[in-house]
Amino acid sequence: MFFHIVLERNMQLHPRYFGRNLRDNLVSKLMKDVEGTCSGRHGFVVAVTGIENIGKGLIRDGTGFVTFPVKYQCVVFRPFKGEILEAVVTMVNKMGFFAEAGPVQIFVSNHLIPDDMEFQSGDMPNYTTSDGSVKIQKDSEVRLKIIGTRVDATEIFCIGTIKDDFLGVINDPTTV
Amino acid sequence: MIEPYNKLVKLAARAFYDDLTSKGDNQPKTGRSDNRGIAVVVLDALTRRQWVREEDLAKDLKLHTKQLRRTLRFFEEEKIITRDHRRETAKGAKIYSAAVAATADATTGKEGEEKVKLHTHSYCCLDYAQIYDVVRYRLHRMKHKLKDELENKNTIQQYICPNCGKRYTAFDAPRLLSRNGEDFDCESCDGKLDVESDKLAAQEGGDGDGDENARRRRREKLKDMLQKMEVQLKPLIDQLGRVKDLPVPEFGSLQAWEARASAAGRAANGDNAGDSKSHLGYNGAPMPYSGDTKVVVDFNGTEGKGEGVKSETDSTSLKVLPPWMITSGMNLTKEQRGEVKQETKMDGTSTSTAAQYTDEKKSTIGHDDKNIQDEYIKAYYAALLKKQHELEEAAKNPQDANAADDPSSSTSIRKVGDKYKREEDDDGTEWEEAPARGNGIGAYKVDLNVEADAPAEDDEDDIDWEEG
Repeated sequence: MFFHIVLERNMQLHPRYFGRNLRDNLVSKLMKDVEGTCSGRHGFVVAVTGIENIGKGLIRDGTGFVTFPVKYQCVVFRPFKGEILEAVVTMVNKMGFFAEAGPVQIFVSNHLIPDDMEFQSGDMPNYTTSDGSVKIQKDSEVRLKIIGTRVDATEIFCIGTIKDDFLGVINDPTTV
Repeated sequence: MIEPYNKLVKLAARAFYDDLTSKGDNQPKTGRSDNRGIAVVVLDALTRRQWVREEDLAKDLKLHTKQLRRTLRFFEEEKIITRDHRRETAKGAKIYSAAVAATADATTGKEGEEKVKLHTHSYCCLDYAQIYDVVRYRLHRMKHKLKDELENKNTIQQYICPNCGKRYTAFDAPRLLSRNGEDFDCESCDGKLDVESDKLAAQEGGDGDGDENARRRRREKLKDMLQKMEVQLKPLIDQLGRVKDLPVPEFGSLQAWEARASAAGRAANGDNAGDSKSHLGYNGAPMPYSGDTKVVVDFNGTEGKGEGVKSETDSTSLKVLPPWMITSGMNLTKEQRGEVKQETKMDGTSTSTAAQYTDEKKSTIGHDDKNIQDEYIKAYYAALLKKQHELEEAAKNPQDANAADDPSSSTSIRKVGDKYKREEDDDGTEWEEAPARGNGIGAYKVDLNVEADAPAEDDEDDIDWEEG
């Protein structure tokens, strides 16, 4: 799920950036630093959308670096148990398949794949129904439901299932 | 049309709200405070009503208002009933009473609601459309949950290393992935991991035995539960199927219902007395007597007093209830009470009118019943004579006839020939229809109390005639 929230961060800025563009430099450094990172608490920071407030800078003794407390708005993405996501399959093996929904990696084990789909090994390993009408392979798009998340301080990993109504392949790369 | 839905409500109440207690679970249940089953009683009572004021419902069920309200709030959260709260004056209460009276096809109220001050009143009503959905959703969720657990649908896959016996879950999958991406490797011994399935583990026996047995037992229990659920809820599911294609009984919001009920009461003109579904008595109490029981009592000819007076008894299609069937709690039309038009009274319903008077008019009129009766008859005859006399006069003197239109003039002038007759008729009709004639707020103001008094005033009128 996506959230638009306000976060705070202490930015250290090198003295060479001091000048007219101090603020711009601060913002671009913030974007470079936080976009794409993941915190267990808030999820993945997708994009910084605005600056709320930049506090007074504090010069560090000895280094000359200045620390600015910056409040910024950003869009974060955090997967939840029970959430339905659309993901792209990245790898298929006999244990199941891995898929990615943006920055989140999701594993669907083979017993959470419908029973009528069987693993076919080979050059392009895939799960196929007996009549061959549905095929899950690398780069397939699937809709899945998250049934578990493992959240570390800097990492989020999910377990998904496609064994439910309206889940499964939504766009097959071979037919396009 | 409403019956299948009522059955559905009753079944659902017994299936899901049977052991509902309004007390917290931590409190010890003594015999007295054990109020399981209250929910069922309340829901059953609601199936016999439409919109009902909660105080009245509490009174009918002999429940404490607080207790009832707690139960109702629970049902509101369960989306089974809709409630409406409003601050209302005596007038507002009367609107409701008028609506109830109209639903009951009854046009009289035995007591006024004058005492009601500005209070917040709560009303509640079953929401049949939503109940249908709620019950279906509940069944669906129950089945879904059991099936999911049975099929291990949402369980996290576990993996076990056959060499070192180390266990992993699917959460470890990215770390375990082997270099070629085909298998999962054990972190400590690099052996290929096996999927830990129930079947495999069950065959294994050994150390995981107790655990596996427990799991198997659990599975069996779940399967059992699912089967039991299907058997025990079959009547409910059948009822859902039966109700599926039926139109949903819809009462609308409280205001809409009130307006509609009084309009319907007006339109029905009291001739669908046998229609049991609309039969809610005063305070919304069911009226078992008047619903289906058809008592035809022929008052005509029981006393031979009515000769010479034209009979209009058949103008009303309502069944006249004998006085011994009329209890004070019943909500009947005047016709049902045997309190018909003046002409009819003269026809010989004096027994019933007498009973009527003993019932209600004793306090208002200080005379003996029989006296009133006699006086009434005398007065009527006197008026009739006077009328005939005046008719002759009016034929001679047309100006007098014009003056007769003035209601404020004395009775002797007023009653002129056919005018008199028409007014008499009007009187009768007005009397009988007045409460049902509500259109708009103005009509709601007709107080039931006032209506009940109306005949008494008429009587006094009659006595006046005699004196005048």
